[in-house]
Amino acid sequence: MSAQGDCEFLVKRARELVPQDPYAAKAWLITARTLYPADFNIQYEMYSIERNAERTASAGRLLYDIFVNFPEQPVVWREIAVITAALRNDSQDKHAQFLKGVFETLPGPVQCKMLLKATEQCFNTLEKAEMLLLLLKRFPESVVQHGVSLGESLLEAETVENLDTPVNCFRKLFVCDVLPLILNNPNMCLPVSLLYKYMHKAAEFYICYVTREPSADAQIQGSQEVGGLKSPGRGRSQRYVIDGLSEKSSVVTEPWDRLLEMVGVVGSLCDWQGEKASRSYSELLQRVSELCRYMSATDSEGFSRCCAQIVTCCTLVLFHSAFHYVSAVQPSLFQGHTSLSSCPWVLLEDLSGVYTDVEVERKHTHKKRKLADGREKTMSSDDEDLLAKGRGRHIVVNKAEMPSWAETLEHFRTARESWDLLHSHQSLETEFAKICSLWKTEIWMWFRIFLTDMIIYQGQYRKALSSLGLMSSLQLQQNQNQNQNPLSGSSSLETQRAIIQQASCHYALGEYRMACEKLLEVVSGLMPQNHEAVKSSEEQRKPRSKTRRGNDLRLLPCTSKSILPFCLQLMLACFKLRAFTDNRDDLALGHVIVLLQYDWPQGENLFLKAVDKICQQGSFQYENFFNYVTNIDMLEEFAYLRTTEGGRVQLELLPNQGMLIKNPSPALGVELNTLLLPGAQKADRHHTVTRGITKGVKEDFRLAMERQVSRCGENLLTVLHRFCINEKIILVQSLP
Amino acid sequence: MSFTGFRSYFCDEQRSHCQLWAINVCRLIEANVTSLIINSEEMSDIRHALLRRDPLSAAKEVLYHLDISLGSALQSSTGPTPGLEKSMVELVEEFIFHVPKDRNIQPKRMSCVQELQLLEIMCSYFQEQSKDAIRQIIFSALFSLQGNKADESRMAMLGKLVSMAIAVCRVPILECAAVWLQRTHSAWCVRLAQVLMDDYCTLVPCAISTLQNICSASPRFCCQLITAVTALYDFSSDELTPPPALLEMLVGWITEDPRLLLLTFINTPLNSSLPLGCLEITPLLGLLRWCVKAPLAYQRCRKPALTNGHGESEKGTASEELYSKLHLSVLQVFLMLQVHLTEQNLIGRLAVLPVESVATLVEEVSRLCEKLTPFPAANHIQLALDRLAQALQVAMATGALLCAREDLRALCSRLPHNNLLQLVMSGPVVQPPPHSGPFQPNMYPHIHPGRPSSLSPHSPHPVLSPHPALSPHRPLTAHTAHPSLSPHAFHPAAMAFPYRPIR
Repeated sequence: MSAQGDCEFLVKRARELVPQDPYAAKAWLITARTLYPADFNIQYEMYSIERNAERTASAGRLLYDIFVNFPEQPVVWREIAVITAALRNDSQDKHAQFLKGVFETLPGPVQCKMLLKATEQCFNTLEKAEMLLLLLKRFPESVVQHGVSLGESLLEAETVENLDTPVNCFRKLFVCDVLPLILNNPNMCLPVSLLYKYMHKAAEFYICYVTREPSADAQIQGSQEVGGLKSPGRGRSQRYVIDGLSEKSSVVTEPWDRLLEMVGVVGSLCDWQGEKASRSYSELLQRVSELCRYMSATDSEGFSRCCAQIVTCCTLVLFHSAFHYVSAVQPSLFQGHTSLSSCPWVLLEDLSGVYTDVEVERKHTHKKRKLADGREKTMSSDDEDLLAKGRGRHIVVNKAEMPSWAETLEHFRTARESWDLLHSHQSLETEFAKICSLWKTEIWMWFRIFLTDMIIYQGQYRKALSSLGLMSSLQLQQNQNQNQNPLSGSSSLETQRAIIQQASCHYALGEYRMACEKLLEVVSGLMPQNHEAVKSSEEQRKPRSKTRRGNDLRLLPCTSKSILPFCLQLMLACFKLRAFTDNRDDLALGHVIVLLQYDWPQGENLFLKAVDKICQQGSFQYENFFNYVTNIDMLEEFAYLRTTEGGRVQLELLPNQGMLIKNPSPALGVELNTLLLPGAQKADRHHTVTRGITKGVKEDFRLAMERQVSRCGENLLTVLHRFCINEKIILVQSLP
Repeated sequence: MSFTGFRSYFCDEQRSHCQLWAINVCRLIEANVTSLIINSEEMSDIRHALLRRDPLSAAKEVLYHLDISLGSALQSSTGPTPGLEKSMVELVEEFIFHVPKDRNIQPKRMSCVQELQLLEIMCSYFQEQSKDAIRQIIFSALFSLQGNKADESRMAMLGKLVSMAIAVCRVPILECAAVWLQRTHSAWCVRLAQVLMDDYCTLVPCAISTLQNICSASPRFCCQLITAVTALYDFSSDELTPPPALLEMLVGWITEDPRLLLLTFINTPLNSSLPLGCLEITPLLGLLRWCVKAPLAYQRCRKPALTNGHGESEKGTASEELYSKLHLSVLQVFLMLQVHLTEQNLIGRLAVLPVESVATLVEEVSRLCEKLTPFPAANHIQLALDRLAQALQVAMATGALLCAREDLRALCSRLPHNNLLQLVMSGPVVQPPPHSGPFQPNMYPHIHPGRPSSLSPHSPHPVLSPHPALSPHRPLTAHTAHPSLSPHAFHPAAMAFPYRPIR
């Protein structure tokens, strides 16, 4: 009989006894172990009994024994693989919990050895990393040895796998798990360059995580989140899964806070000047801008030493603030925000002064003209001195419509300041450009939106137009990448957002024809709302428009309700200048009158000025008058103009009249009239064509007036909307 | 300090007593607490005074004197514990245990109520006596057996006192009783155990839960009680078969914390000389006897009751499981013992299981087996022999039993054949060890460093401190309770034997 035979006999007896008398089975094994302490099977059988009965403490004790005594047994390694797998995943399954418990009972050095050994057996980088991470988390002393190599292997894996986004499983592990261990370990001594590299990797991850695009199912989820504007980091992680990770481990809570913490740690490790672990991003900016001022005043050598610090901090503040600004302005871009809960906003020229200009013009006609001319000249190029003009511009917001307006504008301001600081010095700019190209910020749609708004704010409209061009090509590209974009329906207004901005920029540049062209493109996609609703909101901003005038900007909600009025005002602004020049331009004047109907009686003074002009001219020809002017005050004024008291002004407001006078060919007249008039006027056309030219005119005018008075109740916005669509060609052509 | 305890009980006594009290106090002060031993003349005065009084107050008076004289003697002397004056012993025997001193003067006996009152007074006294040493001396002055006719009433009173202490959980008395159980001949210990079993197990079946709870209060007492009850119930008759309730309770205690079984052993100094015939130092052998004999004895019980119906056999199955559990615990305690012996460098130097006792057990088992042989009880015999073999093997391997395999073979020669027993007798097949170097006992490192060893080392004095492992502040992790591997290769018992078992 051999020792092996004895052992087999003992184990067999124990195994037989397990179901009926587990105590006896254990007694057999204890006896067997005292007989053959070096036999693996006896001890493994003991462990199996405890493990199968899920007795944590005794299983752990026995596992320890077999791990120490039989390190080469493949069975042991299989067991360890099972246990470490349970440690890695966050399963709440009872058996997994038990296995975790078993592991916890083991003494530290054994846990350490076990994890290292298990790591060696992993071939998958992610698994291996997770395993090493377990080790590093438990045993801080092992961070010194394995921390950096683990980090580097994760970064390398990211490169090898050629992943297109920094929000990937490797980076997540690196930034959220490995890096804090490395940075917080007091025994680590990393070179400063490596610290910056890691810091930038982390920042890129956090920023891209926060600004990630919504996933299809997150859209449904996000509709419940209202008020997400205040803290865009919160609650936005729901139902988002990073490829390769579980849903639970895909969650990154409070990314901006984490990033700020990391800046504090890295700052202290790099011995940053004046770094006292800032509690907010604005504090961070304040500190580096002070530093920047101080350093540039002293020596250039010191400045280059602080360069990395300034650029890093400034960049983070820039993206932090820019993100918050854009998440307020275009929330649907980001995961967790939806177009349902809040609409996009668009930054445009403030045109609330379009009606009040008339008084200024009356009093200072020369000055105004000079200004207007000057503007046309200078706006065509982005001169440096225009930057100065951009400073201190005011942005008008309807506070009722955007409750978080103050924060939003503050973020906009902070972001601009950071940008300015980053471009205040050549070396800073170079460093910043490096980061941007590394992070590929040029394809960050949301950042492009911020940049465009910033450029608009700076008054560099030409540059803004090219930025808007970039934006739309970016949008096109992204839509192609994800054909099933769930936003495609709701994004129509968002794509128009860029066009409206283009119109606004063209207007600011004095390119009225381009402005109008863009505008009319937008208007054709708008749905006219009930006029009354708009009026109330317009009245709210009246007091502001009186105190602040001229060069202001306005944040408008990107809705038909707000955009249509803006378009009308912008058109008015375009035609106004042309209408009131010394040269006679009845068409422009007529358009102005039509447009002045909106928001009546805001434009009363301007209308009176137009009337004055008509009186001076003694005649006025605008064939669309009866199609689009339904304002009773205006109708009354025009009726009066024809009377003797009114000055017997010769008004040619009926379509055929003008046509016949201008163009004697009746056939052509008919053609044109058909083009110009909607179907309702067809009967009149035949009537007027067959009548005598002058005799019946008076009668026709009276009839037209009467009919027009009955149209006063029509929805003005519908009328004006129709005006924009029907007269599109004429409108565009009548501008230079 | 020592008499304040009694003072309160006497404050409402008659005047004469107050005078006595005053005299004693004055004397204490005058004599400057040096010579307090009352001379025999005074003692006889006291006796005469006592004879006139009713038995309860006389008994109290004696207790009072006992406290004064022993307490102050202990305070004044720095040497060994003061002995008891013969006259004092006589007073105690005459007035507390009511043994007549003279044939002509029959001491008045106490009524039952008075006896209960006296017990209450004793209970309270021991409870409130804050000095362990004084309490211990008074207890042994009262209850140490003197080999005279007073012993019977001593035992009677002790039984009642301990029973009462269990009922009302008077830990100091239980601790004293534990020491008493260690220093007294096992025959008396068995009698005390019998009284307690009658009170808590037999007479009132549900009273056992009271006893059960004592384990956390006085584990030392429980350890000794286990040894005593294993000596009491030896399976020699149906009456001497452990009651199931008792078995269940013991198994509960032991599985809760197996270290309980080693408590007396660990807290007893190595060089302390214990009187001949006292209980075993651990309950291990007694429990082992239970586990080995139980299958045979239950088989014997079952013979006449084979057709008796279901209830019996089910009870039998429940007990079988309990014995199996108990047996496992005993083996595990051997493994714990090994850790302790190794730490104390006592391996091979101290026989925790005396070979003679083991021999007796083997003898008993072989006799029982012979009796059963005509009956088809092979399974039960094999179970008993399996357990015996396991226990012998583990005890030898852990150093609890110092016995060479040769001697073991001689010892077990008359037992029926059993595979495991053969294997144990022949010992393991020696083969080149798979690991280089000798096999060392595997000390399991603690996760939390700096934690004291669970088994406290031998202290020079028998310490009556509560068992550290049972205090609620210390987490009971299984590590320490867990076995470690044996230092097998070095053990004298680990010798090769060419004969192999037949399977």
